[in-house]
Amino acid sequence: MANNDKLIGDALALAACGLLGAAAPTRSHAAEPDGKWAIDTAVLYYGESDGRVKDASLSALAIREFGDDRKLSLDLTVDTLTGASPSGAIASDLPQTFTSPSGRATYTTPAGEIPLDSSFHDTRVALNAAWSQPFARLYTFNAGVGASSEFDYQHIGANAGFTRDFNQRNTTLNLALAYGVDKVKPVGGVPIPFATMGDAVNEEDGNVAGRAGDSEDKNVLDVLVGFTQVLGRHSLLRVNYSYSDSSGYLTDPYKILSVVDPVTGEPLSRTPPPGVSGPSGIFLFEGRPDSRRRQSLYSELRQDFSGKVLQLSYRYSTDDWEIDSHTLEGRLRVPLGESGYLEPHLRYYTQSAASFYRYSLAGGAPLPEFASADARLADLDAYTIGLKYGHETSRGNEWSARLEYYQQAGKAPAETLIGNQPGSVQMPDFSAVILQFSYHFNL
Amino acid sequence: MTKLPTLLTLLVCAALCGCANVGVKPWEREVLAREDMRPDANPLDAALDDHIYFSKEGTSGGRGFGGGGCGCN
Amino acid sequence: MLATRPSALARRLVASCLTALVLTVTQPGAQASQPNLDLAQYRGQVVIVDFWASWCKPCRQSIPWLNQLRARYGSRGLVIIGVNVDAERADADRFLREVPIDFEVVYDSQGALAGQFRLQGMPSTFIFDRAGKLAATHMGFREKQREQHENEIQNLLTGEAR
Repeated sequence: MANNDKLIGDALALAACGLLGAAAPTRSHAAEPDGKWAIDTAVLYYGESDGRVKDASLSALAIREFGDDRKLSLDLTVDTLTGASPSGAIASDLPQTFTSPSGRATYTTPAGEIPLDSSFHDTRVALNAAWSQPFARLYTFNAGVGASSEFDYQHIGANAGFTRDFNQRNTTLNLALAYGVDKVKPVGGVPIPFATMGDAVNEEDGNVAGRAGDSEDKNVLDVLVGFTQVLGRHSLLRVNYSYSDSSGYLTDPYKILSVVDPVTGEPLSRTPPPGVSGPSGIFLFEGRPDSRRRQSLYSELRQDFSGKVLQLSYRYSTDDWEIDSHTLEGRLRVPLGESGYLEPHLRYYTQSAASFYRYSLAGGAPLPEFASADARLADLDAYTIGLKYGHETSRGNEWSARLEYYQQAGKAPAETLIGNQPGSVQMPDFSAVILQFSYHFNL
Repeated sequence: MTKLPTLLTLLVCAALCGCANVGVKPWEREVLAREDMRPDANPLDAALDDHIYFSKEGTSGGRGFGGGGCGCN
Repeated sequence: MLATRPSALARRLVASCLTALVLTVTQPGAQASQPNLDLAQYRGQVVIVDFWASWCKPCRQSIPWLNQLRARYGSRGLVIIGVNVDAERADADRFLREVPIDFEVVYDSQGALAGQFRLQGMPSTFIFDRAGKLAATHMGFREKQREQHENEIQNLLTGEAR
């Protein structure tokens, strides 16, 4: 069973990575020898608090220059996910039982705790290849392809773009396009939106209730228009506008909503028939719109202060799901001695809830057209604080380590709360630790 | 949703028109040529971060590529 | 704006101006920061003035190529002068330890010469014929243009000195 957290627009992340990777990435290290492969490797551990998601990944990026500024880059990432994530159901004063996504088993949540999907384990592999080369003196062209696979999700995408320099290469305009197709094949089949979570059914007893079909597709188109401007000997500004259009199956097939008493806001109870295990309440599968159009504006300033580099960025994003977000990020690279550096990092993120985000649904009330209790679509604030240390060896190789702490806190908009809920809202806030070791070398 | 296209147009125009006099001479790029001043430095870190934040939040991407650097060739 | 080569008249004009400018830069007993570049002394020879810097990646290819030209044609009257535009002399020295230069180097850390030559990009190569006239300007260095540029130099070398 896959990590729900990966499913939501995984293609988008990879398309974004693809856009990033397609432009023949430059590495963070000193003079790369020509005619050799420059290899960056990283091992990363991500761990959330309270038995939630843990991820370990291994990545490798290899870049080869072929003379006259032609570049090939290849990257591979393998990661393993374990742990539980919130299902969207709300906490209750009583223990709760849910049918697992496969529809074949059940799991329980203790009283007073936010229900988490039962633990799972999944491995994902992602591959990207990109090529870039100049054509005519002031233009470079780039193109790339990428694919990723985990047992219930597959993605394939392609991207292309070009850059054009102006003003003695002080201004660079870039344009890029990425297109991706994803296929999701949820365990137990694709749930029908707002279908009720049914009792657990054994293999021999037939199909899982409330499912329609084995798999669904989604397409994502990304367009980026941006420019990079040299402001002075010591500073650089980049501004990007992106537009993203997703269509198809955008719902998370594993997320549910609790149905609550319309007056008190307490989760409704239910008893499964004798001899059968199943949900202890009324839970409906979520349903999201089949289209999402998003625009964002990203700006980044890089400023050198006699060898120290400050990087400051701000991104504003808005979409037709009414999720508006602001991201503010800063990094300061401080050289230490001849071959080391220290880089503190701060990030602040805030978003407003999707128009169809609901904390829970009121029993007996007409169903909205779309609804999701996924905390990632709620109002939320997140902070990251981190530190990176890097060191270049005498042979020109570099290793680095970074440690980051991430904290996320959500809020359910008041209008989505029912009855007595305002006094007892429990959002699945969490904190996570990110630890990464990287090593760069030439082959 | 309509505020961004206007903003975008303004920015692109500003970039191409107003920036003709902003910048450095071709021989003054020693700092910009440093790897830590390249806007695309650390692609692996950036991709790993993007993936984490995308999985945990409602927004993603935006970084793009190109520009800066030594301005050679 | 630099996509087309300047017309013959424009080139002659620029060449005369440049030659004059370059001659006036010469100052016997100048301060350390004032680069000394007197092309008049090379009249009768073909002169290549190449602007390079430690941070210019293509220079790692162009300089060995220039070294080769110097070895091949030096005896036939080819002079190469490398003008370094590094702001810090230490950076240039470090580069020279990795990529040796077999021709004369002039240090232009303030960019005075670069400004006078109206450098449009890095690296840039200015080629003067035996009469001291600017014959060609090349911006950037590309592997596939090596042969063509070498032929150009050979033609200039076989031209008569006036």
